[in-house]
Amino acid sequence: MGKILRVNLSDETVSIDKLPTEWIEDYIGGDGFAARLLYEEVPGGVDSLSPVNKLIIATGPITGTLWPMSGRTVFVSKAAQTGIWGESHVGGFLGPELKYAGYDMLVIEGAAEKPVYIAIEDDLVEIRDAKCFWGMKTDEATEAIKKQHRDANMQVAAIGPAGEKQVRFSSVIVNHARAAGRTGMGAVLGSKNVKAIGIRGHGAVSVAHHDEFMELAKQAHQRVRTDPQAQEMGRWGTWILTAVKQEIGELPTFNHRTGVFEGWEGLSGDYIRPRYTVSDRACFGCSLGCKKVNYVRTGPYAGTLEEGPEYEGLMSFGSLLGISDYPTTLKANEICNKYGMDIISAGATIAFAIEAFEQGLIDTDVTGGLELEWGNSEQIIELLKMIGEKQGFGGLLSLGSKGAAEEIGRGTEQYAMHVKGLEISGQDGRTHRSIGLAHATGARGADHLRSLVTVDQLGYEDVAAERWGADKLPEIINPYTEKYKAAAVVETENAYCLRDTLIVCWYSVSWPPIFWVEDFAEMLPLATGIDSFGDTEGLNEIAERQVTLKRLFNAREGITREDDNLPDRFTKVPMPEGPGKGQTVDLDPMLDDYYRLRGWDCETGLPSDETIERLNLSWTKKYQ
Amino acid sequence: MPYMPKQLIVDYTKCTGCRICELACSAKKEGVFQPSLARLKIVKYDDLGVDVPNVCGPCEEAPCVDVCPVYAMRRDPITKMVYLDEDKCILCKSCVGACVNGVIQLDTISMHIIKCDHCDGDPECVKMCPTGAITYGTPAQSAVVDRHEKMEKYLSEIRRTAEAQ
Repeated sequence: MGKILRVNLSDETVSIDKLPTEWIEDYIGGDGFAARLLYEEVPGGVDSLSPVNKLIIATGPITGTLWPMSGRTVFVSKAAQTGIWGESHVGGFLGPELKYAGYDMLVIEGAAEKPVYIAIEDDLVEIRDAKCFWGMKTDEATEAIKKQHRDANMQVAAIGPAGEKQVRFSSVIVNHARAAGRTGMGAVLGSKNVKAIGIRGHGAVSVAHHDEFMELAKQAHQRVRTDPQAQEMGRWGTWILTAVKQEIGELPTFNHRTGVFEGWEGLSGDYIRPRYTVSDRACFGCSLGCKKVNYVRTGPYAGTLEEGPEYEGLMSFGSLLGISDYPTTLKANEICNKYGMDIISAGATIAFAIEAFEQGLIDTDVTGGLELEWGNSEQIIELLKMIGEKQGFGGLLSLGSKGAAEEIGRGTEQYAMHVKGLEISGQDGRTHRSIGLAHATGARGADHLRSLVTVDQLGYEDVAAERWGADKLPEIINPYTEKYKAAAVVETENAYCLRDTLIVCWYSVSWPPIFWVEDFAEMLPLATGIDSFGDTEGLNEIAERQVTLKRLFNAREGITREDDNLPDRFTKVPMPEGPGKGQTVDLDPMLDDYYRLRGWDCETGLPSDETIERLNLSWTKKYQ
Repeated sequence: MPYMPKQLIVDYTKCTGCRICELACSAKKEGVFQPSLARLKIVKYDDLGVDVPNVCGPCEEAPCVDVCPVYAMRRDPITKMVYLDEDKCILCKSCVGACVNGVIQLDTISMHIIKCDHCDGDPECVKMCPTGAITYGTPAQSAVVDRHEKMEKYLSEIRRTAEAQ
């Protein structure tokens, strides 16, 4: 039977709860359990950085097994960056280790008076002094804690200086370079005075039907290994996207001003891999291995040896800032990892500052003498470190683009590219309508990971017909129309929600998916012994329940339809060039459809009473 | 299958550190997913981006055989595979300490010595390795002789750049 480990930092106590079995059929695990627990235990309106907030590390029912790409973990909390629902998934090896130590979830409550770290070695759970680790970069802290415990196999999740100083978009770093990046989980840990969590487990994870599960898992691995797209992903990682994005005119450039970048080639996989990549690596139990370790031999950043960045990092410290030099993005990634910051938000916040400066809305008095300009690598790297240290102008930018714009005023808000406070990731609704809707409605803000429909963007007619019905063709795969997009977004959001509940990596359900809901329905009963999980309809309802629960969480914080919006740049300013030239997003019709399909009220965007009843969410009323 | 010496051959340059081998090994041998009881171990260097699979053998001399006080650890003269006769084992852990690859261990729950047996000539780790970093073949098929080639390359490159700066 599963266990929830609770560490209360305020009274320095550790307790173990049984996993509520009555939750399983409705929520499965992972993200779903965390959502329910957070809704019940963190009341509406509390400050994300107060001791009342909790941070949950959750695993899924198949974490620690041989199912492909199932080694991921989720950090859940009321987000420091946005003040709404916060979740951040991370690869690496942390989650399985927690499972092997005997726990399905770790809940960190309260706040410590002085810096501490949490050490979990099977049954031994300790809150230990971290004075000597405070101030360390994430990699230093990770190694120091392993050394302290004389165990190189301990898995450590650490925050860096940015998390300690509560930079709004600070991250938690696992295995040196895997980041629970978005929504500011580092700041939540920092506010609790927790430098790190070290986990070592020697136990076992078992499934209900071992032999059948193994048989299926082996076939699943075989599918990953023979899938042509997966093989490409293994070779190039997400770098494969740069060229695709450039071709369809959706490579965010100059703070999302345009979708075409002249210097894209220097940021493409074809360019990077032969010149810089020294090693391919994988997360726990993954056949694909998309992580690339890269090394810079010459130039100002010679000697940089670091994993990444992913496409999002190439975008946010490349095209978004007018930089075509790959080593700069690698250096930026290294700084983000060591200081513990989200690379997407960091790049987007700097882009905001540069554009505001360019437009004359801020001057050197505000920037502390920096003459901000596009494409200035040296200056951008310097500014990034200043953010990590919260020094000078970096202190202002550490609030994120929304926070900084509010602080500065002067009309700079128009250049802050965010939804609900979370900076927009490397997509553009103008050239891909469904992602516009997903950015606007995502539970944690402008997010490409809650629902990124690729079938429409890449024009997979067969998949579209099979999944959404041939009657919706051709509009549903036309990226430039709003029609039917909500249907695609909802279906994909549900599948992704299951992905985050299991928890599996998103590359196993990405373009075109290797696994989809029916595959999970085949596997879950073997893993859990619960036959009702074999029904795809039932799984979809579970997903719907979770999406609506997260919406209710946000509604409690005051989110309504008005907040499901995009910056004017996407809805009012036509794409200036490229294949999508002249396109804008017309959000309202898509939102109407989306709310209707979700069973939420079209006026307010809030779940209707019938929906709450139907999804068995009436218990939420008790916690409003 | 011809009866001849075979060994687990490791190519460090191909290992991605995914630990599927550890999972597959424990799933086959223990019936659960428990990397701590796997008969092999991926040693990870996150700072360098290097992963090194440590497997049983190949050993020219087998210290685990030499050290065993009761001759429970024995070596097949033809296949060169070292195997443990559990009936004779007195759990003294001498082999655990003697193993140069650190892949023999004592399971303190079941009180058994855990030791790779190459799955009787059909190793599960080899079948499940996604990149071919672990293969099974005759000594002549072993292409990678230098155990630490991959890391040596890195370190010398880092030293070279440091000097150039």
